[in-house]
Amino acid sequence: MTDREIFICRCEEVTLSEIEQAIDEGFVTVNDVKRRTRAGMGLCQGRTCGKRIAQIISKKTGIPLETLLSGTTRSPVRTEKMEIFKGEQDV
Amino acid sequence: MGKYEVVIVGAGPAGLSAAIEAASSGCKVLIIDENSKPGGQLFKQIHKFFGSKEHRAGIRGINIGKQLLEEAERLQIEVWLDSEVCGIFDQHKIWVVKNKKKTILLEADRIILATGATENAVSFPGWHLPGVMGAGAAQTMINIHRVLPGTKVLMIGSGNVGIIVSYQLLQAGADVVAVVEGSPRLGGYGVHTAKIRRAGVPFYVSHTVAAAEGNGKVERAKIVQIDSSWKPVPGTEKELEVDTICIAAGLSPLTELAYLAGCEFTYTPVLGGHVPWHNSRMQTSLEHLYIAGDISGVEEASTAMEEGRMAGLQAAASLGYMNDGEKQEKEQEIQARLDDLRSGFFGEKRMNAKNIIFAAGGKQK
Amino acid sequence: MYRIKHHPILGDLDDKKEDLVTIYVDGTPLPVRKGEMIAAALMAHGIRVFRKTIKHKNPRGIFCGIGRCTDCVMTVNGIPNVRTCVTPVEDGMRVETQEGSGKWGDSHG
Repeated sequence: MTDREIFICRCEEVTLSEIEQAIDEGFVTVNDVKRRTRAGMGLCQGRTCGKRIAQIISKKTGIPLETLLSGTTRSPVRTEKMEIFKGEQDV
Repeated sequence: MGKYEVVIVGAGPAGLSAAIEAASSGCKVLIIDENSKPGGQLFKQIHKFFGSKEHRAGIRGINIGKQLLEEAERLQIEVWLDSEVCGIFDQHKIWVVKNKKKTILLEADRIILATGATENAVSFPGWHLPGVMGAGAAQTMINIHRVLPGTKVLMIGSGNVGIIVSYQLLQAGADVVAVVEGSPRLGGYGVHTAKIRRAGVPFYVSHTVAAAEGNGKVERAKIVQIDSSWKPVPGTEKELEVDTICIAAGLSPLTELAYLAGCEFTYTPVLGGHVPWHNSRMQTSLEHLYIAGDISGVEEASTAMEEGRMAGLQAAASLGYMNDGEKQEKEQEIQARLDDLRSGFFGEKRMNAKNIIFAAGGKQK
Repeated sequence: MYRIKHHPILGDLDDKKEDLVTIYVDGTPLPVRKGEMIAAALMAHGIRVFRKTIKHKNPRGIFCGIGRCTDCVMTVNGIPNVRTCVTPVEDGMRVETQEGSGKWGDSHG
């Protein structure tokens, strides 16, 4: 395995070269790279790779890390089963 | 809808300290944690803490955890375990999934987020192989579950986490084959580093891991020397026979809930990256929302506990549980301890970074 | 051999029969410590491969150990994608190596 074929997103098995290609095509935020490559769309929802992808974008484009958030956060912020939504809710 | 004066997310050192401070002032407090036991990462810390006596120095992390739990119990603080906070809405509403089963909406006058931090990853060829793991994962395995993650371990990173976990791996009976550090200097406290050195563990500075290799699991690691621009130096590759590779590449604050709540953020590389802006009283850009511990910038359990006390104190004071005189007195005591903890070579850097955050200003000034 | 029986600070581990329960890993019964996480129980028995990935069928095991990375998911009592590092063992639990996104078994619910 070469350096460029390493997985950055472990869940969706998206490689460094796929991410760099997306950046070359003009996808230069973590969210845009995610939409282009599926990096961050797997089971863990970008919890492991988000920061790495921000670093790769910054290194390749010179965009300061300061301005690159690791992607949009939505609730639920934890992994929950759909079945918790069934039945009566205590609200 | 359940109503509380103060809801604290996270029952680690910061959250427990915040709860103790707020409850002892008279607040009705609820503390929520996703794990099945309170204490956060304290129960993994089987080493003695630094600092002065007021910071419980010389006491092992596990025992500090026990002390905090006893205090919380004495104050009859309500604790929900196995319960995950999934969101914050309309400023004061907190969505909780209790006991992994029931979804509940709570209302809180004051919220304190003490959610801690998460380990950073470094990626290299083969880092997906079973046997490559976070140093924190290895520490949980050995000190909580009493299981060796492997017998021959390579540690990546010589900061405090890398060094302390290396030492604890040795204590647990593993062989630490080497510690690899990318920068030319070792990063951790000298006391711990010296202990590992005495045990005969080789340190490779200006080195990085080039690859993890093996058939379906880690069987060896390749390390390589790097130059000042972090490029591999040809001909310096070494092969190490290991079954485990631990990554200790620093931590990032766990800020999801602060983001959802709408806090303003600021960027501070020394403290782990993006953190919710906060003042020295641990108040964020949202008047009713406080933070404490690693979420406000990665430091140590000792500072996390003091920040927790500060947040708990401020929350209680803002609800009218003490007069200005009492508040100022306590505030000064906590601040003095924090200043003390943020002195010395490592501490000063953190102190400066914190001061930059405080000075940056947000809506609350 | 991966269980830490003696420890200079934590002391000795002396599990009695009543401290143990049995789980079935891909059909094989294994004695494990009551209340420990599935991932720890498997590691104690030297099991490191917990699943194979969807795309490349790569083996995966424990990575973050705190329920965030989802690398350690397995099919537990017929339910796929269970995070084994934060799910405690129960007596009689069936734990299966997960292929890809897993299959719902008939033993769940």
